[in-house]
Parts: sequence; structure tokens; C-alpha cells
Amino acid sequence: MQIIENLKVKEKVYQEKLDNGLTVLIIPKKGVEKKYMIWGTNYGSNDSTFIVPGEEKETAVPNGVAHFLEHKLFEQENGTNSLDTLTALGVDANAYTTNDHTAYLFECTGNFYEAMDELMDYVQHPYFTDENVEKEKGIIGQEIMMYNDYPDWRVYLNAMQAMYHNNPIKIDITGTIETISKIDKEILYKCYNTFYNPSNMALVVAGDFDPEQMIKEIQKRLIDKKSNGKITRIYPEEPDNIVQATIEEKLEVSQPIYTIGIKDKVKECSFENKNEIVKKHIAIEILLKLILGRSSNLYQQLYNEGIISAQPSLDYEFGKTYAHILITGQSEKPEQVYERFKKEVKNLESEGINEEDFNRIKKTIYGAYIKEYDDVEDMAKMFLSDYFKGINSFDYLEEIEGINVEYVEQMLKDVFKEEKMVLSIVKN
Amino acid sequence: MENIKKEIKKGINLHMIKTDKFKTNLTAVFLTTELKRENVTKNALISSILRRGSQSMNSQEEISKQMEEMYGASFDCGLDKIGDNQILKFYIEVINDNFLPQKNENILQNSIEKILDIIFNPYIENDSFKQEYVEQEKNNIRKIIEGKIDNKARYAMDRCIEEMYKNQPYGLYKYGYTEDLEQINGKNLYEYYKEFIQECKIDIFVSGIINEKTEKFIEDNENIKKLQERNPKYIIPKVEVKEKSSQEKVITDSMEVAQGKLIMGLDVSLENPDLRYVTLIYNGLLGGSATSKLFQNVREKANLAYVASSSYIRYKGNILINCGIDIENYEKALDLIKQQIEEMKQGQFSEEEIQNIKQGIIDTIKTIKDEQDTQISYYFSQELSQEDVSIDEYIDRIQQVTKDDIIKVANEVTINTIYFLKD
Repeated sequence: MQIIENLKVKEKVYQEKLDNGLTVLIIPKKGVEKKYMIWGTNYGSNDSTFIVPGEEKETAVPNGVAHFLEHKLFEQENGTNSLDTLTALGVDANAYTTNDHTAYLFECTGNFYEAMDELMDYVQHPYFTDENVEKEKGIIGQEIMMYNDYPDWRVYLNAMQAMYHNNPIKIDITGTIETISKIDKEILYKCYNTFYNPSNMALVVAGDFDPEQMIKEIQKRLIDKKSNGKITRIYPEEPDNIVQATIEEKLEVSQPIYTIGIKDKVKECSFENKNEIVKKHIAIEILLKLILGRSSNLYQQLYNEGIISAQPSLDYEFGKTYAHILITGQSEKPEQVYERFKKEVKNLESEGINEEDFNRIKKTIYGAYIKEYDDVEDMAKMFLSDYFKGINSFDYLEEIEGINVEYVEQMLKDVFKEEKMVLSIVKN
Repeated sequence: MENIKKEIKKGINLHMIKTDKFKTNLTAVFLTTELKRENVTKNALISSILRRGSQSMNSQEEISKQMEEMYGASFDCGLDKIGDNQILKFYIEVINDNFLPQKNENILQNSIEKILDIIFNPYIENDSFKQEYVEQEKNNIRKIIEGKIDNKARYAMDRCIEEMYKNQPYGLYKYGYTEDLEQINGKNLYEYYKEFIQECKIDIFVSGIINEKTEKFIEDNENIKKLQERNPKYIIPKVEVKEKSSQEKVITDSMEVAQGKLIMGLDVSLENPDLRYVTLIYNGLLGGSATSKLFQNVREKANLAYVASSSYIRYKGNILINCGIDIENYEKALDLIKQQIEEMKQGQFSEEEIQNIKQGIIDTIKTIKDEQDTQISYYFSQELSQEDVSIDEYIDRIQQVTKDDIIKVANEVTINTIYFLKD
């Protein structure tokens, strides 16, 4: 077992790759009541065209299968539902699907091993029938309708439409009523057998545990399954340029909601360049705070002029095939926010970054990283999603120190390009 | 985990929670006052104006810079409604000294000093809040109030509560009302603030690696010293005995929505306040979990909704049912929900289900001490209601609830209001 320790935050992670290919990460937290387990597969809404190991030809499935599978896995052959069983154990159980992974999880204080029995059992035993697949279409249909009423979700998805020509990130994670109508049990089994192989999965446990013992507990509950080899995923070719500079949708909101997107070039994360990816991520976080963070000139001006009334959210989102910056907020004058943002980017480029501001923001980000390590859920989720990106979460704490003004200025030039920016607005 | 309470002055309490479990030290200051129609908007505005600057940090920019210097201290404020009180909440969270790259910065003391300065020593010009700041914050509050419609489910729930508590304090919206904003200016708001700050109940919580020095530091703080002792004006929240509503109110609003939001406000008439432990379990069985009647029957069996749940408003003795449904399924959903309430009255739930709900509640209670802010909220609600129920006692009370108790409570439940938001 590999032990990775970080002295800055004073935490350790135990990592092991089991014989069947499953990666296990254990984060011991002494004296904490909460226990958390999350089991993820490196399979999300973006993975709808692929070659099944051992086959020659491509398989293409309707959009929304990964999310559909997430719903359906809870159903058991004996008529019970694992979500009920887990809830009945008094644990807080859930599952979610993202663009690049799907995860099943629970948090508890008592009944940990009973819940672990159930979680590991249902993830390994799918049970799909024509009848139960049909029934689920109704529930997911309501979920899709609910998201259609969320202006925040609409503004995000529209920004994706504006940035991406072909990449599946532009597709709704749930699929649409139309695409899910085409899903049947054969499709579900095919995707399950391909992507829910231990070699494509990772399991993270956080809480007051002995790591050696925990590995044994996990092994005890694994069914006999061999690593099925490499899954080839096929993603459409994505041009560097954007689709359209602006996109608007009408929805009843009190105040327009906007997202400024900046499309970035993607480098596949590999062992050689993972530090580069972490460094870039940190640099972009620093830049976003310098440009539009609470202490920035632009934020203060926009606030004082009444153009914005709260700090917009500032994110850099990236995966294997996509990367972009997202700035989201509410304003009566989203176009103004956008114009002023672009101007500020230019100013910063020509004037250079102020050393004092830079150091202060760096301190802030360091503090934010430390704070990630208080909650078992935050930690486990972070380690899982970083793992699927090829990153160890501790890397952020290690890399931040070495980041200097020159590097950040370079990133400003490389990433914050006007021709890569889009503005998505949802308003009345 | 232990909460040591000390009265600094009458009406002003310091609560110290010593723990070394966290990477952070958290300080919270709560100002509690009676919810009143004539003050609700002013109180909301005070909470926003204080963030704009203090005597030592004149602007928001300066405050932000100071926070960033403390390794990104998180400074936050919010408004809450507990029973018939409005609460102004201020938080500051800093990483503790063990995780600082440079030692001996003592950012805990620094952070406490800053938060007290922001709350008790605001930026004043000519005996008035800065007019420019006030105007901007009035606009911001206006946007928040108008923004109620953005989250349709939340909006529907707020509307239901408003209808249930028409012309009563609890029906008030915690951010206030746009029509009040007109008359408020820097001068009269500052006049009001001076009164408010000398009359409200003040509770200061510090959680983390702390000692007597921290306590002394707070007591000796200039801003604390200048506060007067007081008989705080607030309402001790108590579970109310309600008259059974004879007829259910039916309210329908129209708005552009793809999905209808059906909210039902229930009254739980409790003569004995201890029955609230029973009601908590009743709510769990009805709609508080994934095994509940609502989730199982409205969502899983009838496929009418993705969200089908209920929540318990402890201090007001209400349960709110929340469902997102296809608009044409209104009658169907309504009947099905009423049927679930009826089945609860007849005791159609098993011992096993009761046990499960209890376990879930107990597990949640046990995790209170894993989160600093939750722990503070727990002690604050005890402080406010003048209770002293330890976590172990709480668990004990939950354990003691029987099926008969639940059936008894179920038969005290009546539908007060049915609210439907449709297109």
C-alpha cells in the first residue's frame, strides 16, 4: 500500500490498486464520528460512443444512459430498493452523475459495515427489466422538467452550447425526454458491463478507520470479476474556436443571470504533465480572483455602481476532453459586466500583476485548500474526482508555493483570449 | 465537546466551544430581535450595511483585503427567522495556527477583533451611515426581495407560510418589503441601529483551539466594553398549542413554470412541548426520508414527482409538504398525499420503519460535533429557547418514542393550507 502524506495540512492518504484493477483510497480521520464511502466509475454523460473491450466496432448509445444507470442500479431483484435499504439503516445515501464520472455514496455514524454491504452489493448486481426501465422514464422525465425550471442550469448549459461544436459536454447530463425514450435494458447492461468493471473504478473511504483493515473489508465484499482491459472512448473532434459569442434564453427571473465562458485548450492529463495541469488550475484561480475577486478594483467598481450585488462564482472546469473558465452571477446589465471584464483582462495584461495583490491572493487560496480537509465528505469527493482526472488532491498544496507572477502572467496571455469568450444570458 | 457559557454583561453572552478537531477556528456573533413588520426591512438592511465598512476598515475593499491577508478568512453574514425572532448572523472563519506556513501570526485574535469592529463600530459620517452605501444596499435588498421568484420551489414554500401566518410575525419575509425602502436613509437607519444594538440579544460563539486568553481578549475588547447591559427584546420560541383549523385554505398562484409546485402546510397541535420529538419521527415517516410514505407512494409507485418530501418547522408546530408535479396531475397528487396523511392516522407504518427513522435522526444528531457551524447552531437554538438538552438526552428522548405516541400525534395533524404554483 502506498502512503501519501502531506505535512502542510497534516493528513495522510493510503492508496492501493487491487488485483482486479480497482483503486482504493483511504483517508483516515481520527476522532471523527462521520464516516463516508464513495464508489465511482470513470464513466459519465460524455461517454456515449466507445469500443467495448474485445469488440472491434464502435458502440453508440442514446444520451442520458450514465444517469439512467445511476437511477436503476438501486433496484434489486428481490423487489427492494437499495436506497430504501440504506436509508432504513439510518445512513445518508445518494448517487450522482457528472460529465465524466458516476458515483454511489453514503455517509453515516453507525451501521457503517451494514451500509457498506449494501452499497458494494448493489453496485455489483444490476437488475434491469423491461418493466422497471419503462417506469424509471417517468421519474427521470420529471427530473428533466425540474432542471428546465432552474435558470442557473439553463445559463450553464447554454454557455456550453456557445463554446462547443461537438463535445458532449454540451449535452444535458440527464439526456432529453426524447433520448431517454430510446433506452432499454440491453443498452443498460451493455454500458454497465463495459464501464462498471473494477479496473475502471475507484473507491474512496474517509473516517476513523485502520487502513489495512479497511482494505480487507473491501476485498471481502468484492465479487469475482476480472479486469476487462482498456475501453476505447470516442469523442468527436472539437475545433479550438467557439460556436457563437453570445446566447440568450427567456425564462422568468427577477434579474438576468449570466455566465461568461472562456474556452481553453485541453491537454490530456498524464503522469508527466499532471503537475502542469495543477499549476495551471491554481494560476487561473489566482487570475480570476485578481480580476473579479472581492478585493479587486473591478468588483468594487461594479458593486458601487450597482451593476452587481454579490460576488460572481469563479470556476475553472476541466476534464479529459474539455476545459473552460466560468464566471456566473446576476446583474441587470450583464453586457456591461462582460465588457468591463474584457477591458480589465487587457489592463492586467498591459500593466502586469501587482506583487502585493498576488501574494495576498495566494495566501487566500492556500487557506481555502486547507479548509477542504475538515469534512470527510468534501475530502472523499475531492480525492475521487481528482483521481479520475489523474491528479492527487495534495498536489495543489504542494504546487501553490512555487507559483510566481511570471507564470501567472503567461497563463493570462495563454488562456484569457477574447476570441475564446462567450456570454450566456437568461432573462425575462 | 463542551460549551462554556459566560455572561459578559446582562443580555450579552460569550459561548466558548473548545475543540482541536478542526483545521479552522470559527467565531459567530448572533443579534436577536423580535420579528416586527415595522422593523423587518431595517434589520435586513443593517445586516448588509455593516459589511460595507467599519471605523478601522472604511470600505468593503479594505475589509476584503484584510480578510485575504488572514489566509482567506471567510467572513459571512446572513439573516434567519427562528420562531418569532429575526436573527442577524455574522461569521468569521480562519485556519488555525497549526496550518499556517508562518507561525505566530495569531490570526484568531485578529479575526475576532475584525468581526467585532464590523458589527459594533460601523463606518459613520456626520452621525449617519454613508448615504451612498445605504442607497446601494437598498437596491441590493430590493433585488433579493424581487429575486424570491427565481427559486420556484423555495418561493412556493415561502408563499405557503405567508398564507398560513397572514398578519402574524412568522408570515413576514426575513428580507423585508420593497415598499419600506423608500423612507429609509443613512441618518434614520443609523438612529435605528443605535437603538437596536443596545436592545438586541447578543450571543458570541468561538469554536476551535481557544483558551482563557481568548476569553479575556474578547471581554477587554473596546467594542464590547462600550455596550450597555440590557433586557433583550426577543421572544422565547415555544411550541405553540394551536386551534384546529376548521377548513383548509386553498391558494393558487400563476407563474411561468414548467413543473407545478404543490405545497401543503399542516398544523400539528401539541399540548405537551415534549411531543415535538414524536413529531420529528412522524415527519420522518410521512416525508422526511427516502423510505417515507410520500417518497414511496407519490414518487416511486405513482411516478408523479421527482421531489416529494416534508419538513418540520419545530418552533411553529408545522409540517410543510413539498412536491414538484406535472400541472395536470394536481388532483391526483393531492388525493394521494391526503391518503398518506390518513394512513398515518390509522397507524399504517411498521415498528421497523419507526426504528429506521429514529436511527437516521440519531445519526444526524451525533454528527453535530463534526461540524463547527452546526455545533454553534445547536447551542444557539438551546440558548434561545432557554433549554438545556444535551446531545445524549436528545438521543434518549428520540429512543423513547412509541408507535402509540406517533398515532396520537398523527391524529392532531390538520391541513391548514394547500398552495399550488402553476403556469
